[in-house]
Amino acid sequence: MERVKTGISGLDEMLDGGFLGQSANLVEGAPGTGKSTLGMQFIHSGIMQFNQPGLILTFEEFAQQYYDDATNFGWDFRALEQANKLRVIMTSPEVSYSDLGGVDGRIQTMIKEIGAQRILVDSLSHFDRLSEDPVALRGILYGFINSLKREGLTSLLTRESGALIGELESPEEDVAFVADSYLMLRYVEIESAIRKALLVLKLRGSDHAKDIRQYEITRNGIEVQSKFEGREGIMSGSPRRMADSFVEAFVRR
Amino acid sequence: MNDSESHSLPEWQPAQPRKRSSLPGTGDLSRRLMDDMDPEVLEFLKTTVNSFIKWDLVIFFFENPHTTDTIDNIARYIGRDAAVIKLDLEDLVRAQVLEQHASGTLTVYALTKDAQIREKIKHFVSASDDRQFRVKAIYHLIRGTR
Repeated sequence: MERVKTGISGLDEMLDGGFLGQSANLVEGAPGTGKSTLGMQFIHSGIMQFNQPGLILTFEEFAQQYYDDATNFGWDFRALEQANKLRVIMTSPEVSYSDLGGVDGRIQTMIKEIGAQRILVDSLSHFDRLSEDPVALRGILYGFINSLKREGLTSLLTRESGALIGELESPEEDVAFVADSYLMLRYVEIESAIRKALLVLKLRGSDHAKDIRQYEITRNGIEVQSKFEGREGIMSGSPRRMADSFVEAFVRR
Repeated sequence: MNDSESHSLPEWQPAQPRKRSSLPGTGDLSRRLMDDMDPEVLEFLKTTVNSFIKWDLVIFFFENPHTTDTIDNIARYIGRDAAVIKLDLEDLVRAQVLEQHASGTLTVYALTKDAQIREKIKHFVSASDDRQFRVKAIYHLIRGTR
């Protein structure tokens, strides 16, 4: 099956080669965990390494902010726009849903103009305002994701999680069911220091790494590192040494 | 007073109103301020970006050129109320700086694709990076609002 590489070392390995072509991939994490950076890197790598033009749909941050943030990583988004390899579109969930659901919308035209193959949607959380009914919202998200697939796009969809540390209950409309893959980014406290952890929770129709990896946001973007050794409860945000929990389990008894 | 004295006095003339242009801070200054502006930019300022809201909108769309959104969201992006920007947004559509499209039941606005108008906008925004220009342009807009 065709793979769409993220271009992020370590992550493609976790994904058994990359995302599936024309799939919808959810990246969920708390503020500052690097969701947008991961998305921008996915788009930038697609253009620079695989000649796959891309689109960024932003519902909150100004396009200007993406140009500036990208510059910090040495990625010249303005030049890529001038070369018709990229479009950073500031819009809203209601407009993008309506545009892609119709015929010859402005966003659809931009997809065709540059031959986009990848898209970053930042962030899916803003769709929440379109309906208070979880069933209706799930229908809207399902329709939106399918319109991206119809346009031949492999999408990376970010979603915010409220808590900085620890697991959260999934909302009722949980888009994770609709997405083809589900990546979780989490803060982890280890010995009074905050680190970042990444887990591939789901990759439909494919094998994937089951371990939890550390990652860092460096000058060059996201770098996925080794897995957390000798610890458990990583995704709870407060992992314990496995030896400690082993002892604790027996002592309590 | 005899007749000879009355003849020696100059004929009384009512005071002439001072011309507005001769007062400091008005016409002359205005002309002086505008004289050294690029004529093309000045024309764009006079005919197209002739309000502070239009200025905000033009800068916003220049910096975020692929924005496609409704009036409510655009108002939010520039930190104003939709009712306040409505007329100015429509003026910019008439001036062909912005385009208006129907998307389903929504009306959305986007920057023109016309290369010549985009070049004029670029020229204007580039000029407005200069503080002297901004002072002059703001003066012009304030006069225009009186």
